[in-house]
Amino acid sequence: MSISRRVFVKSGGLALVSFGLDPLFVARAAFSSYEPLPPHAACCRPVLVCLFQRGAVDGLNMIVPHGDPIYYQERPRIAVPEKDVLDLDGYFGLHPGLAALKPLWEAKTLAAIHAIGSPDATRSHFDAQDYMESGTPGMKATPDGWLNRYCQHDREHQDTPFRAVAFGPQLPRILAGTAPSLAIDDLQAFGLRAPQPAARDRLTRAFEELYAGSATGLLSTSSREAFDAVQMLKRLDPGQYRPANGADYPRGRLGKALLEIAQLIKADIGLQVAFADVTGWDTHVNQGATEGQLAGRLSELGEALAAFTRDVGERMRDVVVLTMSEFGRTVRENGSSGTDHGHATAMLVLGGPVNGGRVLGKWPGLDPAQRFEGRDVAVTTDFRDLFAELLARHLGARDLSAIFPGFVADSERFPGAIRG
Amino acid sequence: MKNRVVWRSLVVVGACLPLVGAQHAAPPQSAMPGAALTPQDSALHALNRLAYGPRPGDVPRVAAEGVMRWIDRQLSPDGIDDDRLAERERRFDILRYDRGDLAAMYTAAQRERRERKLAAGQTADGSDSAGAQHAAPLPKQADPMIPKSNRLANEFADLAVVRAALSERQLYEVMVDFWTNHFNVYFAKGADRFLTPDYIEHTIRPRAMGKFQDLLIATARSPAMLFYLDNWESVAPGTSPPFPLSARRRGGQGVRPVPKGINENYARELLELHTLGVDGGYTQQDVIDVARIFTGWSIERPQQGGDFEFHDWAHDRGEKLVLGVRFEGGHDMDEGIRLLKLLANHPATMHHVSRKLCQRFVNDDPPDGCVDDAVAAWKHSSGDMGEVLRAIFHGPDFWAAANVRAKVKTPLEFVVSAARAVAAEPDTSPRLAQVVARLGEPLYLHVAPDGYPEREAAWVNSGALLDRMNAAVALASGKLPGVTVVLDSIVSAGDPDQLIGAVNEKILSGTMSENTKQVLRRELAGIGDPAQARALAVGLAIGGPEFQRQ
Repeated sequence: MSISRRVFVKSGGLALVSFGLDPLFVARAAFSSYEPLPPHAACCRPVLVCLFQRGAVDGLNMIVPHGDPIYYQERPRIAVPEKDVLDLDGYFGLHPGLAALKPLWEAKTLAAIHAIGSPDATRSHFDAQDYMESGTPGMKATPDGWLNRYCQHDREHQDTPFRAVAFGPQLPRILAGTAPSLAIDDLQAFGLRAPQPAARDRLTRAFEELYAGSATGLLSTSSREAFDAVQMLKRLDPGQYRPANGADYPRGRLGKALLEIAQLIKADIGLQVAFADVTGWDTHVNQGATEGQLAGRLSELGEALAAFTRDVGERMRDVVVLTMSEFGRTVRENGSSGTDHGHATAMLVLGGPVNGGRVLGKWPGLDPAQRFEGRDVAVTTDFRDLFAELLARHLGARDLSAIFPGFVADSERFPGAIRG
Repeated sequence: MKNRVVWRSLVVVGACLPLVGAQHAAPPQSAMPGAALTPQDSALHALNRLAYGPRPGDVPRVAAEGVMRWIDRQLSPDGIDDDRLAERERRFDILRYDRGDLAAMYTAAQRERRERKLAAGQTADGSDSAGAQHAAPLPKQADPMIPKSNRLANEFADLAVVRAALSERQLYEVMVDFWTNHFNVYFAKGADRFLTPDYIEHTIRPRAMGKFQDLLIATARSPAMLFYLDNWESVAPGTSPPFPLSARRRGGQGVRPVPKGINENYARELLELHTLGVDGGYTQQDVIDVARIFTGWSIERPQQGGDFEFHDWAHDRGEKLVLGVRFEGGHDMDEGIRLLKLLANHPATMHHVSRKLCQRFVNDDPPDGCVDDAVAAWKHSSGDMGEVLRAIFHGPDFWAAANVRAKVKTPLEFVVSAARAVAAEPDTSPRLAQVVARLGEPLYLHVAPDGYPEREAAWVNSGALLDRMNAAVALASGKLPGVTVVLDSIVSAGDPDQLIGAVNEKILSGTMSENTKQVLRRELAGIGDPAQARALAVGLAIGGPEFQRQ
């Protein structure tokens, strides 16, 4: 039944294409030619997990330049004291909230990129997030996100409904576009809801047939993606999932999202790009130092990532996790023991393929003369250099110019996050 | 099955060809419902596009009145009696507060928040709040104002759904949604928590069917927009507020530093999104000079009510040049008003906004003929939206077979049309607004200034489609708290064929496909309880593919 339905929709799609109708549908129809994967065919494909720290994380208190006295001069109340910093290389150190990540650093599967950010000077959250997700800083009109454009241009990958998944109630800008992608708020609740499993199956089948029989255009392709996903999830039975190796995820949205990502990776159902938000980084007031607001957010992040790594286990050799944030924060603390919107920040990459145990990127220093507009850490690595490297060296993307229009990707400028 | 798809697309292509030809031959005012559409079809099409879908009985009612006459009445909303909605609106607390009340609530909450944060910082380390964050299922909101402001925000979102569902002035409500989206603000950005309700009630709604120029000027001086796009803090470089204000600011704790220069945010979006469009032919220097013109357009402090306030000390007194037009310095606010009038009547603006209207009402890929008709009407009427809309609805593109059922309902359109299809009675609880949010487009919460896109790719995706099906089943079986549905008056329980016939006629206005009938027949066969069978049939119909289109 499901095979014949696929064939039917596929040929229906081609028939419409040949009449030149509905360009959006045509774009989606190009992705409709996949067949269900044989068991384990998706095993060992590289996976990229992106976490967006919305609100602009203070890179200077996440990866602390404790070797620079200016850091302590500028932040009398919120600097992380030397004794509390987890030293990495004699100059930089981890915020103690990230202690759970220290073993990954020792194992050389964790790297940080400092002084990374956007070439655009905006300090507006929504503009800067928009640019980081569209991958086109300064250009508002870009209709899709760079992760979606990657999926559009790399067609070698055998599509499954779970190729690109955002964990949250809405599809984020970074995954918006013509390549199919899922937004899943709760893996267990994904699909039709009914009190009993039998009623649920029946309702699912009824809707599936309604859409298979009469839906047209984008409704047809999207509904087919939906029911394929529901079928695959049913086999997966997410309610029964138990993390491996004693991994203990922190409670909260991030822990839940990473647990579900780990589950999909291990289920080998073709997950290639995963995305989740982590909120709470806009620390204008009382951000704290060793402990406090930011420390709480960082320890949740660190523990969640450590649990994820433990849970995914062996498969981490194929997985890279990237943290990103729209910009950094002012070098100097403000009058409310917090920091205001700045420019460059720090990002983390971790996973088997990572060239870990080092802080990458050119460090511009904190001297006022070196700062951006006299106040913020200057950007020395365009975020697209890092994103492009992960796409090219980890996921195997070939055509970076289509993914980052207007940007000439040059491997000479890649920060070196992936082992050569 | 395969053959049927091919055959259908042939019919669509074939049917639209003669009309495409006719579009150029016939003057727009003579265009009426195309010969291809029956009076019922035309009534359904108009109700899908000018309204949030038909309620039971609406299609025959509009067909009997004459669809063009009904459209004319919708174009003059003041002449339509709307007492039932007015009665319902009285239940909404939010409408009892004016901007001053909401501002006072906001500042009180802010003060409380600041004190709490300072207290937390002084006592220990704030680790308890971080711990709570760690344990809570959702990121903890530190703002004590959140419960109250969230309640009001939810209630306000629900008010939009209730108005769309219940108002007799349907086209007017559609236009309110259109302009709210075109002149987007973000409810959750700081002061916009208290400024947005005032913005919708007093800036957008009174002008939704008036002249574009009036609406543009009203949004430009609205505190909600001034705050959202940062113009309130845009000042000529080197200027500073007169003594008492600056002293107060310096003394205040945790108060932002006094702004130091121009902020281009509003200027850029005014040109790119509100008026000329991204290809409207302006330069970065134009953006800068527009920003200079609007220096000083600001807001009173919330304690004083948060109304619009012009700060002459902050205004750039130099000469400006925008789109080649010289603006002599020293004319304060008049420069901005003059600029807004220039932009409102600029050909690029007419084209950009007309195109969006044609997207909303005709097709995601708007036909050039529709845009041309709308622009022509804009010129004749100096941007009277009633006349622009009239031209669209009288144009051949609106009625072309290729554009009928060519659009997929947005989340708001889906939820409201579903509620209308079953004559649901929503109360003031935010359940329907929450469904709209779950389907991907929460009201007043689009963060970027472009508003929600007018193209289906933005809201049609697999997860959201499954949620539509779930919402349909919940609505039909009366399981959405706060929404009363009595199916008895719409579809009487009967044998499966009668039931399917009734659902097709009342809920789907006769658009049910053979496939849907077959699936329903089979699903209903095993169900003994007539009420359960009816709920299932209605749920499948509303969650099914026919109902997603308009």
